[in-house]
Amino acid sequence: MIKPLDVAAGLMLATALVLGLVVPPDAVQGDLQRMMYVHVPSAWLAYLSFATTLVAGIAYLRTRRMRWDHIAGASGEVGVVFTGLALVTGSIWGKPVWGVWWTWDARLVLTAVMFFVYLGYLALRRSFDDPEVRARRASVYGIVAVAQIPLVHFSVVWWRGLHQPATVLRPGDPQIDGPLLAALLAAVFAFTVVFAALVSRRAEVNRLEDLIAAPSAGEPVAGSGVAVPPIVGGGR
Amino acid sequence: MIRHIAILFRAHLRDERRAGEVTLVIVPFGMVALLVVPMAIGIDTPLLDRIGPGLFWVVLLLFGTLVSQRQSASLSESRRDTLTLLGVDPAARFAAAAMAGTVLLTLFAVVAGTVTFMLYDPEIANPAWLGAILPLTCAGLAMVGTIATAVTSGPGARSSLAPLLVVPVSVPLLLAAAQATEGLRASAGILRWLLLLCVVDVILALAGVLTARPLEES
Amino acid sequence: MSSPLVTLDGVSVRRSGALVLREIGLRIEPGEAVGLFGSNGSGKTTLLRVLATLLRPSSGMGTVLGARLASSEVETIRPQIGLVAHEPALAIHLTLAENLHLVAALSGVPRSAADEALSDVGLSGASQRRVMHCSNGMRRRAEFARMLLIAPRLLLLDEAHVGLDPDASKLVAHVTAEVTARGGAVVLVSHERERAISIIHRAVEIRNGSLIEATP
Repeated sequence: MIKPLDVAAGLMLATALVLGLVVPPDAVQGDLQRMMYVHVPSAWLAYLSFATTLVAGIAYLRTRRMRWDHIAGASGEVGVVFTGLALVTGSIWGKPVWGVWWTWDARLVLTAVMFFVYLGYLALRRSFDDPEVRARRASVYGIVAVAQIPLVHFSVVWWRGLHQPATVLRPGDPQIDGPLLAALLAAVFAFTVVFAALVSRRAEVNRLEDLIAAPSAGEPVAGSGVAVPPIVGGGR
Repeated sequence: MIRHIAILFRAHLRDERRAGEVTLVIVPFGMVALLVVPMAIGIDTPLLDRIGPGLFWVVLLLFGTLVSQRQSASLSESRRDTLTLLGVDPAARFAAAAMAGTVLLTLFAVVAGTVTFMLYDPEIANPAWLGAILPLTCAGLAMVGTIATAVTSGPGARSSLAPLLVVPVSVPLLLAAAQATEGLRASAGILRWLLLLCVVDVILALAGVLTARPLEES
Repeated sequence: MSSPLVTLDGVSVRRSGALVLREIGLRIEPGEAVGLFGSNGSGKTTLLRVLATLLRPSSGMGTVLGARLASSEVETIRPQIGLVAHEPALAIHLTLAENLHLVAALSGVPRSAADEALSDVGLSGASQRRVMHCSNGMRRRAEFARMLLIAPRLLLLDEAHVGLDPDASKLVAHVTAEVTARGGAVVLVSHERERAISIIHRAVEIRNGSLIEATP
């Protein structure tokens, strides 16, 4: 079943792709700069999914509705993909520009740290059978980890700031040309809609997975003599 | 509440003293790590002097995860239930475990630090400042470790999971501690790094206390 | 007539989407000892944890020692609940005495009371032994010493007779009688009905997640 959100995401992504390919190349970097239309939105989604995971985690702890946990988990999974994508595209971009795959730029280091926080978060989620235990533990870790992100940011910026001024090209530089900026904004917008579509899909899958994992009606739950009455409710 | 924290804190340390996991297993393991690094990178004395302090902090971060995961820190479900029924606040339990962890990590750090001084001979201008940097860093690591141990406790979670949860989140602690030490070497200002350590510790303490209860319920 | 110590009304517990306890109704009066039976995995331990206020019911209402379940009121009555779980709640590197002293300190009771409790269960000779060197039976006895020490108004015994020799089984009766004589109540899970019958006043059984009155 195709949802309107999926269609919208597909259309916008196609538009952003076309825009990114037809706008004139950058004066300094040429076609290489087109990588920006993937890199910047991916990095944006890395932050957005972190924020979503945090908010959904807090909402779960307050309301205890599994729906929030499904969103938090979905956002974590989508987030790890785009954080990885931001790292990889940054690396591919960096090689010709800086001559190296990796540089100890503050933003890069921060993104890498976030990537590992995500991996830990997802590994934690996979560790528990009971969806409620999983939801509680993951929410707590999500909150603690995200609370640390601004501190990671400051510490890394200070660390690098001591040795060298920030040398990285700033993708969101305000001096950017009009058409290029339009293409970039279109890409950011399209990626955001894609994010919403993916999270909504994945959250639904999470809900269904919990339902499948729960003992079904008539099946012994824990031992002989006990049957599960036909009440379905794993998710809601 | 404070009485409960004090009682549990003492019980933690007594338990660990008997078990000897930190002193007899983890501390020697950390010392071996410091011993084998020069074997891998060569015995270039100026280089060792240069990397010594940084290496020390890395060892503290990585091996500190073992200290936080020591057996005496993990309570069985029935012991947890018993404490809850005795009216012990989950936040008090977090505080006691984190404080005991801080003491044990500081112990580890003092031994490993001494070994670092002996093997790597780094030059530090004002070593007295380490008296502030070390406990602040250890407190932060102990709190992260206590939270990570709590979220991974119970059946299902692998014991290798907690270190993965701890290390990325501890980046500010590592950077602050290492840069403060570097500042001591270069006789540069270290105040901002000390301040960062304090802020991280306060945020972790708040997070630990506020999340203790939701972790508890079943 | 004094008010009941436990009232459960339509209490259900759902775990992982499955209903483990269904619409449980239960009323326990002061001085009562109730036997709780049921096959393995029928939800006996789950029900004990609800009564211990350690597990929130998914739905339904109830009170334990006057406190409404799933409210913050339970925090004030928790110290009056004694739970002997399947697995002993002891720190294995500490001695039996140290374990009991820890409980005494946390509940604000003098240490001497802990030593007395240990000697009441016949462990005074072994009190300086570390738990890791104690047999299962001794650990079990130490759990009963803990119950004597905290003198609960509601005593919950899971698998009360497991790992106890006939002599130690008398402890179950002793502790139960102690609590009921003071106007408290006991809920006792046991697989050994014969041993349990002599102690309890009535029996209930969990079947298909529901609670039914049973003949002991």
